[in-house]
This record gives sequence, C-alpha cells and structure tokens, in this order.
Amino acid sequence: MRYIIGIGNYSMADDGIGLRIVEHIAENGLDRGFKAIDIADEGMRLLFYLNEETEKIVLVDAVDLGLPPGEFRLFKPEDVASTKELGKLTTHESDILEILRFAKSLGYRLPPITILGIQPEDLSPRMELSPALRERFDAYLRAALEEVGKDG
Amino acid sequence: MTQNLSINVHHLTRVEGHGNIVVDVKNGKIEKMQWQVPEAPRFFEAMVRGRHYTEVARITSRICGICSIGHTLASVKATENALGIRISPQTFKLRTLIKHAENYDSHVLHIYFLVAPDLFNAPSVFPLVPTHTEVVVRALRMKRLGHEWGSLLGGRTTHPNRVIPGGFAEYPTEGELKNLRERLVNLQPDLDATVQTVLSVADKLPSFERPTEYMALSSDKEYSLYDGVIQTVMPDGKKQRWPVSDYKSCTNEYVVPQSTAKYTKNKMGSYMAGALARFNNNYDQLHPEAKKLAEALKFKPLCFNPYMNSVAQLVEVVHSVKDSVRLIDEVLGAGYKPEELAQPTKYGQGQGSVEVPRGILFHDYGYDKDFMCTGGNCIIPTNQNHANIQLDLEALVPKLLDAKRDEKAIELGLEMLVRAYDPCISCSTHYLKVEFKR
Repeated sequence: MRYIIGIGNYSMADDGIGLRIVEHIAENGLDRGFKAIDIADEGMRLLFYLNEETEKIVLVDAVDLGLPPGEFRLFKPEDVASTKELGKLTTHESDILEILRFAKSLGYRLPPITILGIQPEDLSPRMELSPALRERFDAYLRAALEEVGKDG
Repeated sequence: MTQNLSINVHHLTRVEGHGNIVVDVKNGKIEKMQWQVPEAPRFFEAMVRGRHYTEVARITSRICGICSIGHTLASVKATENALGIRISPQTFKLRTLIKHAENYDSHVLHIYFLVAPDLFNAPSVFPLVPTHTEVVVRALRMKRLGHEWGSLLGGRTTHPNRVIPGGFAEYPTEGELKNLRERLVNLQPDLDATVQTVLSVADKLPSFERPTEYMALSSDKEYSLYDGVIQTVMPDGKKQRWPVSDYKSCTNEYVVPQSTAKYTKNKMGSYMAGALARFNNNYDQLHPEAKKLAEALKFKPLCFNPYMNSVAQLVEVVHSVKDSVRLIDEVLGAGYKPEELAQPTKYGQGQGSVEVPRGILFHDYGYDKDFMCTGGNCIIPTNQNHANIQLDLEALVPKLLDAKRDEKAIELGLEMLVRAYDPCISCSTHYLKVEFKR
C-alpha cells in the first residue's frame, strides 16, 4: 500500500497544510492507488504505517526550510537534520524526524519516505491558510500525487 | 522550610500544548504561584455561524486533533437536540463504541508515553526503548488497536467523517465488528501486563490530597461517556444533578489575568473534570473487571489525589475494552444493518455533552428554520480544570517546601501534577525546521 499522510494542527494557520492536502484528496476522490491519511496532531500514529506492506509514504508537512513563504521541496528524511529545539519526545511538540528515529530505535524497517515540505508564512492561531499557501495549493497537490506514484 | 525558590517551567513538556508553571518564593514566603495557559483563540462562533447543520460537526471536529471524535459527538448531539433528530438504539450503541475507542486510545497514550517516563525516572519514552523494550512495544501495540478501533467506526482519518447528524454515513461490516470484538478479547494479556507495569511503579505517585468538587456526565443506565446529565460529587459525598441544557449555570466561565483561556467554577472555588471525576461520580457503574483492578490498587471513591487521575484512566481502559465487547454483542444480536439517517423535526437551540478523555465537553448551537446555524458555544474540559490545577499547586507548594525538597524535586512534583490532568492546550505546532546535509 502507498500513502499520502498529512500531519499538523488545523487551528494554527499554515501548520494545517498537510491536513488540508489530505482532506482535499479524500473529498475529491483523488485517492486512487493509495490511501490519504490524516494523523492530525499525533505524530506517533505514523508508526502504524511503517511496515512491510507499505511501499511508499509521502508526508505532507509545514517545514521551515529557510525559503520564501509558499515555496516547497521534496526530500528524504536522511537528507536533512532537524534544527528545531526539542528537549523531549512529546506527542504534540514533536516532529516527524524524531518519530522516525524512535521507529528505527525500535527496529522498524522504514519504507521509502518522501517529505513534501512547505515553507509556512503564518503559524498563528487561525483556522485558515495564509494567502501564500492558498495560492500554491494546487502545486502542492500535484507534487504529492506525482510523488506517491514513484518508487523509492 | 526552603527559604528561596524560583521555578519557571516554560512550555511544560509531555502535555498537549504549551503551559507554564511559575513559582517564586522569597524568605519562605510564596510571592507568586501561577499556572499560566496561553490558549489559542478559536473563533468558534465565527466557524459555525451560517453553516448548514450537516456541515457543523465536520468543522468543529477540527478544533482538536486528539479529541476530534469527542468534538464530533458533542457537536452532532447538540445539533440533534436543537433540530429534534431522534437517533436509533443502534446509533446510540455504535457512538458509545467509538467514544470508548477515543478514551482508550488517549488514555493509553497518556499513561505510557506522557506519565510513565516520570515513574521510570526518564525524561521521555526515548531512553526507555533499550531498557524497557517490551513495555514500549506493548504500548505501541495497544495504541495501534485504539487507532484502528476509532478508524473502523469513524472513518480512515482522525476526523471521524462517518459520524453525522441522524446516524452514520457509512457502517463497518458485520465481519469487521466481529474482528474488532476478537481483538478486544485477545487484548487481555496486554491489559494484565499493563496493570503489572503500573503496580510496579504505583508507589512513585505522590500522596497529595486536596478535596474538591468533581464534575462528570452521569446516567442511571451506564458509566457515562457518550450520554448522561451533569453531576457533581462534593467532598462529603453529596451528589447533585443538572440537565445538560443548564451547563452555563454549572460552569460559570470567568477570566483570570494569567491566562487567555477562560476558567470555570461551580459550587466550590474550582472543580475537577476527567477520569478521576468520572471515577468519583460513577464508580458503581464500572465494569466488574475494572472494579476488580481498582480494588487491587486499593483505589476507591472518593479519591482526592489528583495524581491518581492516571490510575483512573487505567481503570477506564479496562472498562472501555470490556464494555465494548458487550456493545458489539448487543448490536450484532439485534439484527445489525445500515439505517436511514434520522431527519430534523423542529429548529431552535440545542446542547450536547460527552465525556472526552480529559473530562466533560459541551457544545451548544442555535439553528434557524432553514437549519442554518445562528451561533455556537463550546466549553472544553482542559479549561474547566485550570482553576483546579491552580488551587492544587497553591496547596502543594507549601507542603513540598515544608518537606525541604530541593528545587529539582519540587519542579518535578509540580510538573507531574499538571501532567496528571493530561491538559490539552492545543496551541502547539508540528512543523519541521530543517537544514539540508551537505
């Protein structure tokens, strides 16, 4: 099985981009040949999709890439180092790289994972996306759909 | 007594969101003792106004990624009450089953990943992987069941899109329900092992008591999670009830300077909501297996120790598993089949309340003749616990100072107290911050 997985918080503006992409896919029946999964605030749920039957995961998330707002990159977890200051593993203030490290320490075999990282503009408590991300929504969607079909 | 102390826990870890604990003691006098919570403004009213009744729950389920099932259920119940939509006994049972899934899932997460590290002297679950591999693997196995149990009833995502006003949009098959039943029955060894793990560290839970008022949904029919009336039990054991429509007169929201979240109170200076409040109110209706566990832990109502909230969660984990087996048997035994959605019969104002993992949750909406929402209100359990946390800390700090604990031990004691409430402050973000490797 292949998955596009969204993680984030709807109530914090652009932090909800991953959830909105996944929701758009599910509502418009675009999930053909893969499943669209919303794991919301709980990164730990990613672990349940890391198994032998998983051929590919595309994770959609807001990522501070140091780029202009709305820009995005596709990258592998092993291509980057997290620079977020995280003292401890929590379910909330976590990031997916940490969850993947946790999985590895437990002996999980990681399937091919690509992160679709989108540079946020606004992470304040608002229930909507910033204009920069709204404008490029279709580009993120296309990138996610294209990537999930690729091997590796 | 410790003479000078300055604790400033900024963004307490292992709670769902951001909260600060600030303590200042000078020359033996407590000058400042605050539980500070910056709550994100939610614009709840603006989110729902002008929406058709079929859309409202889908929107309000997004308020919280952890309790999205509970928000959906409180929302559809409020809508159904406002519009005179009468659900079937089968819908009632299936909704109770998904409510059990949410409480089970959240409690397992809280007990194993947020509370256990304190009891195992670890900063997080990370360092426990090599030393307690079997416990971590078991926790994840149990967590996975919770995720799949909720998804089966609610749909594949966190936000349960199958639960809608009038009933369900889609149904699990009979085979899927039977499979879930089998998995719940087969969970027994993991439940037993969990109890043993908790028993092995139970003496690490501080023995602090502060009698308060406890609020929970209550019903004459069952241990209330999905439905009931508002009940509180006072420190002397006296109980009183109100209809859910009177929720404003029991919650009495007010504003405090140190927080942008509203606080609440009822008969006393504060009240507690959550697993311990449910345990104290509704102990008699717990499943016999859950009671047996409580007895083994010498845990009985009324319990005034807020740290025991995590143990009450464990008792509820057992209750939810056992009661869900009963519900599946009853649903399948009564000619299980997909049903037509029940339709509106009136319009006006309606309230809905359920017990989410952290306590009693209220939704309240008005609808016009076209079934469009004219306004809404929501009171979450975490906010209802803030005043009680503040009063607990005020009572606890002098005790810890008298016991001449060092600053680090005092800080840990306070952090553990707040974590016991499992507060969900929900203003956190999850974004990554990365640097590309060269």
